[in-house]
Amino acid sequence: MRKFASVEELRDFRRRIISDGKTQEEKPTIVISADTGAQASGINDIIRLIKRYILERNLQEKVALRITGCHGFCEMNPYVLVEPGGHFYPKLKTEDVPRMVEAAVGGFVDEGLIYKEPREQKKYPCQDDIPFFKKQTRTILGENQRLDPIRILNYIEQGGYAAAEKVLSNPDPEWIIREIQKSGIRGRGGAGFPTGKKWELARASGNGRGQKYIICNADEGDPGAYMDRGVLEGNPHAIIEGMLIAGIAIGATEGIVYARSEYPLAIKHTLIALRQARDVGLLGKDILGTGIDFDIDIFRGAGAFVCGEETALIRSIEGFIGEPRQRPPYPIEKGLWGHPTCINNVETLANIHVIIDRGAEAYAKVGVPGNTGTKIFSLVGKIRNTGLVEVPLGTKISEVVYDIGGGSVGNAKIKAVQTGGPSGGCIPANMFDLPIEYESLAKVGSMMGSGGMIVVDENTCMVDFAKYFMSFLKDESCGKCFTCRKGTQRMHEILDDISKGKATLEDLDLLEELALVVKDTTMCGLGQTASNPVLSTLRYFRNEYERHIKDKRCDAFVCKELVGAPCQSACPLGTEAWRYVAHIARGEYDDAYTVIRDANPFPSVCARVCHHPCEERCRAGTSGGDPIAIRSLKRFITDRVDPSLYKPQRVVWTDGKPPKVAVVGSGPAGLTTAHYLSLQGYKVTVFEVEPEPGGMLYCAIPTYRLPHEVIRNEINALLDDNITLKCNIALGRDITVDGLFEDGYKAVLLALGAHKSKPLSLENEDADGVYPSIEFLKALNMRGEHLAQGRVGVIGGGNSAIDAARMALRQKDVNSVTILYRRTREEMPAFSEEIEAADQEGIKIETLVTPTKVIVKDGHLSGLECVRNELGDVDSSGRRRPVPVQGTERIIELDTLVVAIGEDSGIDAIGPARLSRIETTRWNTVKADRTTLLTNRPGVFAAGDVVTGPNTVVEAIAAGKRAAVMINRYIRNEEMVQPAEPCLPKVYIEPVKMDTEDASLAGRVETPRAPAEWRTRNFSEVEVSLSVDEATHEACRCLRCDLEFTKPKKVETETEAKAAVTGGK
Amino acid sequence: MTAEEISAIVEKNGPAQGGLIAILQEIQARYGYLPEDALRVVAQETGRSLVDIYGVATFYRAFSLEPRGKHLISVCLGTACHVRGGPTIAEEVERQLGIRAGETTADREFTLETVNCLGACALGPVVVADGHYFARMKTSMVKEILDKVRIGLDRVEVDTDQRVFPVEVSCARCNHSLMDPRHVIDGHPPIRVTASFGNKHGWMMLSSLYGSYEVASEYEIPPDTIIHIFCPHCHAELIGSSKCGECGAPMVPMIVRGGGVVQICSRRGCKGHLLDLGGAASE
Repeated sequence: MRKFASVEELRDFRRRIISDGKTQEEKPTIVISADTGAQASGINDIIRLIKRYILERNLQEKVALRITGCHGFCEMNPYVLVEPGGHFYPKLKTEDVPRMVEAAVGGFVDEGLIYKEPREQKKYPCQDDIPFFKKQTRTILGENQRLDPIRILNYIEQGGYAAAEKVLSNPDPEWIIREIQKSGIRGRGGAGFPTGKKWELARASGNGRGQKYIICNADEGDPGAYMDRGVLEGNPHAIIEGMLIAGIAIGATEGIVYARSEYPLAIKHTLIALRQARDVGLLGKDILGTGIDFDIDIFRGAGAFVCGEETALIRSIEGFIGEPRQRPPYPIEKGLWGHPTCINNVETLANIHVIIDRGAEAYAKVGVPGNTGTKIFSLVGKIRNTGLVEVPLGTKISEVVYDIGGGSVGNAKIKAVQTGGPSGGCIPANMFDLPIEYESLAKVGSMMGSGGMIVVDENTCMVDFAKYFMSFLKDESCGKCFTCRKGTQRMHEILDDISKGKATLEDLDLLEELALVVKDTTMCGLGQTASNPVLSTLRYFRNEYERHIKDKRCDAFVCKELVGAPCQSACPLGTEAWRYVAHIARGEYDDAYTVIRDANPFPSVCARVCHHPCEERCRAGTSGGDPIAIRSLKRFITDRVDPSLYKPQRVVWTDGKPPKVAVVGSGPAGLTTAHYLSLQGYKVTVFEVEPEPGGMLYCAIPTYRLPHEVIRNEINALLDDNITLKCNIALGRDITVDGLFEDGYKAVLLALGAHKSKPLSLENEDADGVYPSIEFLKALNMRGEHLAQGRVGVIGGGNSAIDAARMALRQKDVNSVTILYRRTREEMPAFSEEIEAADQEGIKIETLVTPTKVIVKDGHLSGLECVRNELGDVDSSGRRRPVPVQGTERIIELDTLVVAIGEDSGIDAIGPARLSRIETTRWNTVKADRTTLLTNRPGVFAAGDVVTGPNTVVEAIAAGKRAAVMINRYIRNEEMVQPAEPCLPKVYIEPVKMDTEDASLAGRVETPRAPAEWRTRNFSEVEVSLSVDEATHEACRCLRCDLEFTKPKKVETETEAKAAVTGGK
Repeated sequence: MTAEEISAIVEKNGPAQGGLIAILQEIQARYGYLPEDALRVVAQETGRSLVDIYGVATFYRAFSLEPRGKHLISVCLGTACHVRGGPTIAEEVERQLGIRAGETTADREFTLETVNCLGACALGPVVVADGHYFARMKTSMVKEILDKVRIGLDRVEVDTDQRVFPVEVSCARCNHSLMDPRHVIDGHPPIRVTASFGNKHGWMMLSSLYGSYEVASEYEIPPDTIIHIFCPHCHAELIGSSKCGECGAPMVPMIVRGGGVVQICSRRGCKGHLLDLGGAASE
């Protein structure tokens, strides 16, 4: 391309190429995002193969290619967009290329490759309709997808340099500054200083004469933010145009782009663009014959976060250590080499041509007064749709996180967003209604910052998060101010102590005080804001800090020194899963049994029905693979080892006659307490209202998951001379709390369970054929009654709904079973393996439906009227609220309906407790202290579902264990506390020597199950035990997280010695 | 390393104070670290004290005073990578290499460093090995990547790699085919042109495989030399107006059979190239 000699030449040239472009036959174009992120995802291979395909099939005349920067939807990398039509093909694989190109050439949509919204399973043939794009205003980012950043021609064709043209045809700095002021744009680097004001000051500085500089601050150092990279890589000419206009406005003849060296592609594209702009005469001497001189240089940073601060940045360009200096004088007065220097952020400069082009007034209409225009955010972290997102200022956080970002990735709830990088703070999820504005974010203790928006969920530990930022800041503090240098270091040390469980509550006060001092006594932005990550997490997540300090727990399973082996600390019983898994790998099955049984009196039950939190937290799973099948391994052991082998330690009561304790309820909680008290020498009487002991295990858990035989054996193994079991005894009817005390019982434990299903609260609910799920399951489990027949509907999405459905399917007069759930399948609270099993057995699952009316014919159920739901706003649980769609009512014909929408203890059970003056809650549970399990009546304890509402078996056992400890202390008159300590692996078990490669590559063993076909015809157990080979293989896959804590020191020093060598910097 | 080379670098970046960072960057890029002797020369040439230069060299993270390994592995520990498990990736690399972040293996094969943010936050955790980005890292991927790095990530098996394919070209002026059916490079007829540099003027054959950089020529061409390339049929110089994105040298355009233009960098050793198909805009 030749040099333009005048503004007219540029204008004519643009006109010509635009009309040329239009006359050319519209041919489909494959638009390929090839920014750094796309390259990391393999886009270069995709591009090669597209080109190869086009060449080999001679498609050059039928399809065009455009290689661009980032379009924003980075999560979907590598992706392409086909124009016209806007077909968006995400996550392309090399083998998809031929299909995609053929679809583009043929002008149709490839249904298999096109974007599908994962939650609704809906396909979107046009990019503009995809929720991620639809809610954005992509003024700046939208340009990225329209042009190839290394071709100036592309930029000009898209209207680029038209703003420069406007300014150059009649250079009037005052007018430019007025326009920028009118637009209301504020600095996008984070502090939000009005850009127009800055330019006005810069123009006036130095009496309007002499050397001045304009610097583009592209030292995007905030970890987690990459908007500036996105713009520089994708549209460098927009920055050049913005700088040129700024230069004319303030009277600068030199510009500098200060770019991070960590962004090689951005630097490359900027260099290419600068060269091209010079070649066509848009930079250099006498630009377009106007007599204006302006040129731009690029300066590569050398990796120092503090250089994003303007005075440090200047020092760095000058060739010194990047230490900030006191302001004033501001760079506007005295900047680079002592000359007035105006520093603007990349995104600010990218907006300039838009303002000049469209006019300040039009620009100011976007956003809200005081916060005009759009802002790009890098939405990253624990969110479904990561990427660059551009929205008008004033948009609510919730719109960005849920509508655009698509909410959480897995089941973990979103906890907060972190904005503003290390200088910013966290905003908790309950404040997501906040509009994104400079002031509103500052008010809640965060800041706009350059636009990083990091979403964190329950698996992110806020203490660790604050520690991460503090570690960053202590490294990046330049060291000039003592309070910043030492303060960040001390804050990091305190946070480190907290994360290791070594801190006290007083340390929290110290931390807070220190944070405030650092904020008040440092010179530059880094120090003044360095406390924000600490202060904001303390403000909103103090409970997490206290959990670490008081309970020695990290609920997000991040802080290593508190978590130890995740499987162990995830288990409510603290079972050393790693230890028995290690024993299995070594073939030591008896030892494995002892480890299991030491922690858990119901090993065979838990081996079948535990919801295995150990597996959810297993590091083999959380680090990207499959978790170890811990429950199946437990089953393997309990099936193989004779329980009588286990001889627990017993304490003989020496202090006179052993005291008597009454336990009401013989479920897992009650029997666990009875067992452990018996071991302490107490005489325990267990009262059970049903004819058989077992509580919820017996009544509510289907036999195909837990055969009655297993429960009986387990209970028989627990009963001993100290325990008396009395069945068919009901609290309130046969015994009372007062009566028990009168009979000489020293303590009473209420472990009544939760035996009442919650009602639907619909008319005709008591009609024939409608059953609460517990009643339905009990009828079968206790009395062998088959209540289901014909077409069965089950309402609910939890485990009891699945249980009821699968139990119904096995009954002889049943034709079909349908589960009806009001939210989406992903949100069903039931365990995924249970849902899967239901699927296999042929149970239909209908989601997004709410029952509205029970239809009755001749006193018997005949159908259920349901309405369709659509997903509405996000509720407090972080899930989208199901909203009924009027007019979508329809009737589902049914012969049996099971209502499984939750359980409580029910008034029958809770009533007698109340009569005994025991405090209850409005959820029909007994109120008990969390630590001591004491109710409001001295000597009366409560544990299990009757306190928590419906919960898991293992939680009930854990509560039973705790109750035994507390009752023992109560009777012995000891302090009712259990000192917290991190539950860490303590025993070293030598790992089995094996080829590590094989183990790490192998997948999880499939738990054997009876064929679905056979299952549905009877009530027999579905899951089968692993074989010895399978169990050994699975156990060997364990990553042995315990070794970090138990490995003898000698071994460690040897490997240390083997490790090398040179210290780095 | 010679004092002359260092002096030349200082000269090129301007001996004035402002050039210091750029000078150190260039020395680091060329030698992989900042040798003490080089810093002494820089001090002499710029007139700044060695202490001053040492201060700058140790303040910025990008500089190293120790020689580094042949391969550089950078594990990103930016915020987004951190919450997605970046630290466990770093630990796994440390375990595999037997060194800690900031160190170099005894055999000088690998240097491991952690970086604050690479700006690929949406795809975390991210690892960069010798300039190649790896997204959505899992610990199980570490070993395989290190193995590939040892072999060389740029290495391409031209016979089997489906990303490598032949491109037939002709002269942009006379449209005569430039393919030479009498010879074979990489199993295909090469592109034959006339190359001119210095006072040398002779034939040159380029592999016609897109993705291969195999070249044969009548005279040995020293690295970094900018060559003038001519059509052996019409003798016109093949030269366009665009410059190489990698190094800034002029690009050499050729017409692709079936439509399109391929441009290669005229600098010996530079891999800069552009393949435009389907009537992409000419410049």
